[in-house]
This record gives sequence, C-alpha cells and structure tokens, in this order.
Amino acid sequence: MPAAGAISPLVASLWLLNIVLDTGGQLAFKAAAGDPTAGDGLARWQHMASRPWLWLGIASYVIEFLVWIAFLSLIPLSEGVLLGSINIVAIMLAGRFLFGEKLTRLRVAGIALVTLGVAIVGLGA
Amino acid sequence: MKRFYLFGFLLLMGFDTLAQVSFKVAGSQALPVAASLAWLLRVFGQPWVYGAVVGYVGAFFTWMALLKHAPIGPAFAASHLEVVSVMLLSVWLFDEHLTPARVLGAIAIVAGIVCLGLAEGREQAAEPAAA
Repeated sequence: MPAAGAISPLVASLWLLNIVLDTGGQLAFKAAAGDPTAGDGLARWQHMASRPWLWLGIASYVIEFLVWIAFLSLIPLSEGVLLGSINIVAIMLAGRFLFGEKLTRLRVAGIALVTLGVAIVGLGA
Repeated sequence: MKRFYLFGFLLLMGFDTLAQVSFKVAGSQALPVAASLAWLLRVFGQPWVYGAVVGYVGAFFTWMALLKHAPIGPAFAASHLEVVSVMLLSVWLFDEHLTPARVLGAIAIVAGIVCLGLAEGREQAAEPAAA
C-alpha cells in the first residue's frame, strides 16, 4: 500500500479517466437508445449494432472496469467510493449541457452537496 | 408491497457493496498497477474479479426489477447509498479508519444523494404520463 497522504498524480489521473469513461459511456448508450430512426424490436437492435454508439458505450464500460480496479488498489476503499460519487454530478451536468435537462433548485443543492463532500474527502486525503 | 421495496433496495445495496469490496481485493492482489498484459493477467487470474462481475450483473437486474415497481426517487437514492455500507465494511475488513474528512464528506454526499432522490421523485410526480 502506498503511504497515506496527498493523492498521487497516478491516482488523480485514474479518477479523472473514470469520470470521462463513465459519463462518456452513459452518453453513448443514451445516443444509441435515443436514435429515433432505429425502428422497433430486432430491427432496432440491428440498427444499433451497425452504428458506433452502442459499441463505444460498451468499450467505455469495459475500460472503466479496469480503471476502477487500478484506482481502488491504490487508495483506501472507503476513500475511493466516496471520491467516485462525483460521477453522479458529472452525468447530471452532461445531461444539462448536452440535452438541456432542467436543473431544479433541489438538484442544484444535491449537486453542490455531493461536490462539497467529494472535495472534503479529497482534500483530507 | 413496502416489504418488497425494502428487500429490493437492500438487495441492490448488497450487490453494489459486493462489487466494490471485490474490486478492492482484486486490485490489491494484482499490485503493482501497470498498463501491461501482466497486470491484466494478475487481475483476471484470481477469483475476486469475478465477484465484482457478479455484483455488477446482480445490481443491474435488481435495478431493472425495482424500476418497474418502485418510485424512482428512493430507487435512485438506494442505488448510490452503498457508499455508506462500503465505508463501514472497509473499517472491518481492511482496517481502514473513519477519519473526520471521510465522515464529514460522507455526510455531505449522502445529503446530496437524498436531495437528488427527492428531485427525481418530484419530477416523476410532475409528469405521470411520460412513463
């Protein structure tokens, strides 16, 4: 185990990479599932399989799986899961900017609290 | 029906917790981290990584079943509250410490998740026809 103390550049990079892959994967699945020209039933799956979005989503998740294992092996698990909560914030902000999803006051409060919590854990590491 | 939800939420948390604990053990046994085939072989060469897969798959199907019946707000919250169970388990399993920063951070994160769960619940109530 690496010594306790400030988060190393490798851990920080894996954390950032995890956010990018998680958010990117979810957005790719959303793009695959939301395509209005896709049709129904089996035809819909064939359409999705013939276009890159579904595969991009799957690839993101497979790589994310490995990145998360590497990330957790380098820091205490209790800290890792708390820092990983930032993914919730990232996906909501992505939804806001890319799909114009509404951010109600309650949502903004939730995003602020989760971000604050992650910052406290990160700075206290 | 209440008992069904409660069981579903606990099962979801259980699968998520299993996945995270398995990730941790799998990663620890595969140290040192390297972008190499040797590291991949170490990861997939011991059983814990498959515990993580079981946890993920179990959580996925529990989540889909819950969404069919349970209100989205509490379901959303339950799907993220494993941070608490994982934190407590890491103290017991891995001798980690509940430092003030972790406890404070966890309280803020859980409060945030509850807010987001309430927001999802309100939204669903506001557009009942959309489902």
